[in-house]
Order: sequence, then structure tokens, then C-alpha cells
Amino acid sequence: MKKPIIKLSEVRKSFKISKRANGLPGHIANLFVPKFDMKKAVDDISFEIYKGEAVGFIGANGAGKSTTIKMMSGILYPDSGEIQIAGFIPYKQRKSYVSNIGAVFGQKSQLTWDLPVIDSYELLKNIYRIPEDAYRKNLKMFTDLLDLSSFIEQPVRQLSLGQRMRADIAASLLHSPGIVFFDEPTIGLDVVAKERIREFVRYINKEQKVTIIFTTHDMQDIEKTCGRIIIIDTGKKIFDGSVGELMNLSSEDMDIESIVRKIYEGDIKII
Amino acid sequence: MNTEKNDTIHMFLCYSRTIIKSWFQYKLDACIRSFTVFIREASGIIVIYLTLQTFKHINGWKPDELLFLFSLIFLSYGILIIFFTGLRDFDRSVHDGGFDRILLRPRGLLFQVISSNADWFAAIGHGGLGITLFLLSASRIGISWNITTVLYYIAALTGGVLIQGAVFLALASLSFYLIKSNNIKEIFYWNMRRFANYPISIFPKLIQYLMIYVMPFAFVNYFPAQFLLRKEDMHSYPQIFMYITPLVGGFLYFLAYLFWKSSLKHYKSTGN
Repeated sequence: MKKPIIKLSEVRKSFKISKRANGLPGHIANLFVPKFDMKKAVDDISFEIYKGEAVGFIGANGAGKSTTIKMMSGILYPDSGEIQIAGFIPYKQRKSYVSNIGAVFGQKSQLTWDLPVIDSYELLKNIYRIPEDAYRKNLKMFTDLLDLSSFIEQPVRQLSLGQRMRADIAASLLHSPGIVFFDEPTIGLDVVAKERIREFVRYINKEQKVTIIFTTHDMQDIEKTCGRIIIIDTGKKIFDGSVGELMNLSSEDMDIESIVRKIYEGDIKII
Repeated sequence: MNTEKNDTIHMFLCYSRTIIKSWFQYKLDACIRSFTVFIREASGIIVIYLTLQTFKHINGWKPDELLFLFSLIFLSYGILIIFFTGLRDFDRSVHDGGFDRILLRPRGLLFQVISSNADWFAAIGHGGLGITLFLLSASRIGISWNITTVLYYIAALTGGVLIQGAVFLALASLSFYLIKSNNIKEIFYWNMRRFANYPISIFPKLIQYLMIYVMPFAFVNYFPAQFLLRKEDMHSYPQIFMYITPLVGGFLYFLAYLFWKSSLKHYKSTGN
């Protein structure tokens, strides 16, 4: 029996949200006697992912996707439950663990804003202690696959969003991680730019056997890259299965986008 | 172990190269930045210095001796912002999620926060002013420089850097709970620092206590200067205070480090 490379069991995470009465008096009262609500961001989530899988991780805004990804990448501590990834407990063994993963956040760049892309790569080479030949090889491969050569010498601040995203993806993969988290990598991109990223994700998953977790709001991203889908809603896992199984949830002939929308709206019930 | 250590210094320099390169993207700004800091801080000093000329001395401290007090503040701050700018401005990176990026990398957290923010240009401005003030005053105030005093001076300067570094580290840790801790820093650090421009003996008892026990700026410049100058007003304090700056620095930094360690798991990250 194969062992899963990612295993989450009964993971929970809540955040304190300060509760304010309306108006200025309420705000002032809150200064002295703060009132909090606990918001359950992730509420008892369990799943297993095997090496080489590509999993689409979807849910409405605020469903708990980002929180889960952040716990899996060692950024946040879960309140309870267990996370095991590539033999590590991410939040406890952060420093040795993070070399095994790459994380791409569509909304946050990890490149140095004022410097040419290549300078950020050189810095990452040193941070991850990437051997020179592996670095050269990866840089060449990503430059070709993501077509970086036309802007690799340009400061990040001058890049278009699509270029910046491609540069960011390469930055997260230079150290050859076996697992990569893509958190909304296609957000705000045009169709051509999206397609290019999907192709790339497919390539590293199929050809390089990189395990992929992909969050997005664009169902086409999922259809074109992922074999499996996990849907979460208000912190709970409500669906976990193949694209085919998801399609079977509806008797009508609907596309994946409409099915997912109906699930969010509660028109399709999943037991 | 040795290779690990070499790698750390190498990595620190890699970060510094990136920072300096970034600055030079805006060439003119980079060139005038150190100079601006120097002039801005120096003009504050000149005003105080000229005002003091009319008094001859305050509480037995002559203007040149006060310059020596200033020099310790500026020199220690110059060194401080090479190593602790990232912690001074840490609430910003908690607020905008920049700390996420640091957590994703296989290096020590504190090491990354420190080395990815070394502010070399401002350091040249502050440190340059510190050296200037030191050169102007040190020869005129009757300090006999020998191996003991030189070693003491270096230890006290290091201690002074650590004391302020500990305060930045503790306030940075606090921002895991509060997200924004800027106002506390303003009151606690910057306001108290103004008092450190003068011998603490001229202040009311309450402020003296604050400067010794709460935000111990007195150990950054007043007590080390007393070791070298032995002014009358030292009689009001335990004599041992003249010697312990390095210990105070080491101890406070250690405490702040423990606080940092225990605060890390409270990091909340900011949502998308």
C-alpha cells in the first residue's frame, strides 16, 4: 500500500474576530472591553494526497482555502489535528520542511520589486543552497517553458501581471520542490496568460511528477490541470473526488462551473 | 559547524548586496540618503550644542562632554539599524503579509528578518555623525585611552546596541498579538530617546527611573560615559551601573528572544 505524501487529519483553525457595536460609542466601548467572536476558518478537515496527484482545492471566498494552504505550508499553526507532509510536520519542522515545497501566491509576489527578475533568482539560489548546476538547469528549463527570456533582466515593477506571475512561478520552483501549492495563480490574468500557466502546471505534474495543490475560482483551471477536486465550504470538506464524479452529481447536462455554483448555493446537496 | 557559519555571513552579504542594488535603482536618492540623514540629525545636535554654550555646563557636564553622550547614541543607532531595521519596522511586514514569505524559506526567521532589511545608507548617516561627534569630543574631555578603556568602550557600545535591539525585538514580538505596534514604539522608544540627549541626573526622579529600569537608555550612553568621565552626579546611583551595560544588553536581548520565540505561534497571517 502506497503511503500518502500529504495527510491532514481532523485539522481545525479558528480566528478571533473582534465584535464591534455600531457607531463611534461602540468602537470606543470596544477599546476598553474588547468582545471577540471565534470564527472557525477550518473545521475538521481531513484528506490524503498521493505523490504525483494534481488536486484542485476550491471553495467560495472565506471558505478556508487559504488558511488550509497556509497551515500546509508551515505558515500557520493548526489549533488541533495533525498535518504530515513529505514526512514532516510543517509548522513544527518549518526550516527543514520548506525546502520540499514551493508556494505560489497569486496575490503576493516573492520577487524583489525594484530589481531585475534574475537578481531575485540569484538570491533564492543562495537562500535554498541550490547547487550551481541544478540552478543552471532549472533556470534554463523555466526560461524556455515560461518564456522568461524577454523580461528576465527587467525590474519586477515594470512587468505585466502575466509576466510577473510567470516569473514568480519559476522563483517558487528553482529549488526543485516535490510538492507545489498554487494559490490563485491565475487571478486577474487574461485568457492567453491563464492558458500558459495551466500548460506549465500540467507539464510539471505529468513530466516531472510534481504533486500539485491548486486553488482557484476559475473552473477551467481545474478542468485542465487537475484529476481530483476537493471542495470546502465554511471550513468543512464537502466534496472529494474526480472531475467525473463531480459531473455525476447532477442529472442535467451541466458544465463543471454550474455544478460548483449550485453546490455553493445549496441547490446540489452532497451527503 | 564552521561551514555553516561561513554560509551565514555569506548569506548576510548576499542580502546586503540585494538591498544596496535596490537602492541604486534610484541613483540620486541613494547618493543623498546618507547625507540627508546626517544633516537632519546633525542639525538637531547643533541646536542643542549652541543653546548649551550659554550655560557653560549642566549639572557639571560641559558641552564637549554632552557631545560625547550624543556620540554614543548615534554610533549605537548606526550599528543598530544595520542589524535591527527589520525588527524596528516589523509590524509593517506582519501587516502586509511579508512575513509569510520569510516563513516559506529554509533559513532562520530572525536571521532573515535581520539580514533582508539592513539599512546601510541610514547607518552611514547615523554612524558617520556618531564618529564625527566622537572625534570632536573624545580628545577634549580628558579620557585616557588605554587598553582597558578601549575594550570597555567596545563592550559598552555592543551592550548599547543590544539594549535597543532587545526593545525592537520585544516590540516586534508584540505585533504578533496586536498587528500594529507602532504607537507603543513611538512612546516607548522615540520619546525616551529624547531624554537620552542629556545626563539623566537633570530629570525628575520618575524619568530617571524610566530611563534606568523601563527603557534603559541610561545604560546606552549615560553610565558608560560615567565610567570614562567620572562626573560628580554619579554619586546618586549605585556605582556598579557604570560597569554592567554589556550584561544588561545581553540579558535583555536574551529575554526579548524568549518572548519572540513564544510569540511566533500566535502569528495570524493576513487573509487574501
